[in-house]
Amino acid sequence: MRHMRAEFEEAEEETGEINLVPYMDIVTNIIIFLLASVINQVPLGTVNVSSPTFGAGGGGDSQPEKPALNLTITVGATGFTLAGSGGVMPPIPKLPNGDYDYTALTAKLTEIKKEFSDETKATFNADAVTPYDTVVKTLDAMRYYKDDKDQREKELFPDVVFAAGIL
Amino acid sequence: MATDRGNLSPEVAARLAGKKAIRSYARKLSDPEDIKDLNITPMMDMMTIILVFLLKSFTSSATLVNLDQNLSLPPSMTRLAPKQAVPVTITKRVLLVEGDAVAPINNGRIDPQLKRDGDNGYYITPLVEILGKVARREKKIAEVTGQKFDGELTIIADKTTPYRLLTEVLYSCGQAEYANYRLLVLKSRE
Repeated sequence: MRHMRAEFEEAEEETGEINLVPYMDIVTNIIIFLLASVINQVPLGTVNVSSPTFGAGGGGDSQPEKPALNLTITVGATGFTLAGSGGVMPPIPKLPNGDYDYTALTAKLTEIKKEFSDETKATFNADAVTPYDTVVKTLDAMRYYKDDKDQREKELFPDVVFAAGIL
Repeated sequence: MATDRGNLSPEVAARLAGKKAIRSYARKLSDPEDIKDLNITPMMDMMTIILVFLLKSFTSSATLVNLDQNLSLPPSMTRLAPKQAVPVTITKRVLLVEGDAVAPINNGRIDPQLKRDGDNGYYITPLVEILGKVARREKKIAEVTGQKFDGELTIIADKTTPYRLLTEVLYSCGQAEYANYRLLVLKSRE
């Protein structure tokens, strides 16, 4: 009788529920840690640029219908300089407070975009001492513009190639 | 018994009913069945789902950056999200590849001795060597997984980094077959 009772108790222990409390403790701690990490994350984004690449030249027979734009935007000490296949455009000077005139740059590029609607490439160049902050702001000004007609953002020249030494 | 109860005054009957209710409540409290089995399985399900969701969102943020006084990112209006790529970090004091220091930076300049062509050169020798190794590793992985080596780098640079240093780094990256760069920035609305 005693033997049977011991066997019964053993069987009861084996089929009993798993103690989930330690697992729950671990899960709760991980959740708190992850929540804290997610909250502290800063919103990050990227700006895509590329360096010039060499390729084998194509056949020389076909002539392009429209001349290539070859737009180059240079950030200088006094302001922006825009150049294309047709020549150099009048420079965009800095604002009286010493900042670069990003609005005027976007306006000028919008005019160019209307002439060359299919073009998305532009070459970027800057003075050696130009800070990275200014580079990123200029790239922002080159990427999109707000259309006055429908108040929607439209593409300008998002495919930027860095020049100056990266050959 | 029923007749006895029937003869009780309403006051006594109410007191007896109260005592009965107290006894019933005490019995309920002392009953171990009610408190012993708290079913935590639904709670566990819920917590596991939250854990999986949080882990997924944690890993999907491709780049983790430690911002400090030597590294503050510039703001940008870009809408592109960061993508997994080899990180090259330019802080005010050091140049890093995948978190490992490659070359020191003094006043926005790399030591000319670490450049192949001296002070005016663009070729940062230790950066090209390390990125060459990384590129070989990435190519092997791309071969095994059947993907294409796209030569992409994430450039994490301090906002005061001069353009000259940036071009030196990008030129050196180009020498190690990395031609597409993702400049990491802080998303802003203005």
